[in-house]
Amino acid sequence: MNTTQIHPFETMIVIMSRLVKDNDVAATGTLSPIPAAALLLARNMHAPNLTCLLYGDPEMRLTEGLHEAFGFMQRGLLDLFFLSGIQIDRHGNINLSIVGDYEKPKVRLPGGAGTNMVSMMAKRIIIFSTVHNSRLFVPEVDFVNARTMDDSIPWRRGTLSNVVTPIALLKSDRQWGGITLEATFPGHSVKEIAENTGFDLGATGREIPEIDPVGEDELNLLRTDVQSKLREIYPLFCDMIWGAD
Amino acid sequence: MKDPYTGHDYAVVPAIVPDVAVIHAFMGDRTGAVVTDSSRNDRLLAMAARKTIAVVEELVDPDDLMPGKFGIYVSPLHIDAVVVAPQGAHPTGCRSRYELDCLHMLAYIEASKQEDSFASYLQKYIIEPKNHEQYLDIVRSGGSR
Repeated sequence: MNTTQIHPFETMIVIMSRLVKDNDVAATGTLSPIPAAALLLARNMHAPNLTCLLYGDPEMRLTEGLHEAFGFMQRGLLDLFFLSGIQIDRHGNINLSIVGDYEKPKVRLPGGAGTNMVSMMAKRIIIFSTVHNSRLFVPEVDFVNARTMDDSIPWRRGTLSNVVTPIALLKSDRQWGGITLEATFPGHSVKEIAENTGFDLGATGREIPEIDPVGEDELNLLRTDVQSKLREIYPLFCDMIWGAD
Repeated sequence: MKDPYTGHDYAVVPAIVPDVAVIHAFMGDRTGAVVTDSSRNDRLLAMAARKTIAVVEELVDPDDLMPGKFGIYVSPLHIDAVVVAPQGAHPTGCRSRYELDCLHMLAYIEASKQEDSFASYLQKYIIEPKNHEQYLDIVRSGGSR
């Protein structure tokens, strides 16, 4: 196995999997191959009692569609969910609808679907993004689909814990009042990360550690057992990372 | 709004009541009962809408209307019309029966980028075919499905 060449998404998957706790009930939404892989890896590593609800899993049998999954979350039975967006700001607000002016948008997207409700009702939220730049991390989002850190009103169960990108692990910091830098990924400096983030990550004057390197056991499981299950749900993603089956 | 039981503040929105819902189901019978994909929200839609039209892959005897591994039964109480149209979900897929037609979807996305190419798409696939059979014939001759 070639462990010297690790795809940035593989690092993301491994880092994200370490954030998952044993006995969690966790779910992923549409277009979420990285979180889905992270959950499968966690279940193979340190979280054997993890329950994974992976949207699009051909083997997952529901009684009654998303309606049922949403009801499950509203009852407080979901510990962890993964969200993403086209823009994310320092307060953990997510935009999935409009870039630019609402009346004359530069880009119009399909929207947030269950993002807002899920962000209120899951006990913990992790945001992921396949890019890390100042177009994604903006001072203020152009449209708010979900406020993942605002616990003023209305009542909510959980909030944002972390943000994972191809170059950094960020976390939600209540005292700081926003998202801060927790650790850098190998080959990426604090300076590079700060320059590609459109708001202050609170990294100055602090020692920022690098993540513990991706382990051989993690990478091996990811490329074998995890890949073969992931392929049932996300074949094109698997082709992109590991080549055609 | 305050929940009278827990005291929690919730945001509330009125329920959507569609005039018409169109769902695509695996099978239906002459009583109006259907079996549809359990991973979708079809039963919720059927129960929310004033009128519901169910497009089905096949018409079966009521005794054969069984949910199976990925199906869910919807009572005729919630269905106003059943339309038999095999491959009626094309170019999208129908679970356990046929996959999404990727080539057709890509052609559609390409066509939708410009007014005139989209007009040609509509002419070829929507306006000219007299019925679903003709539509499928045109799709088949186009190379995909």
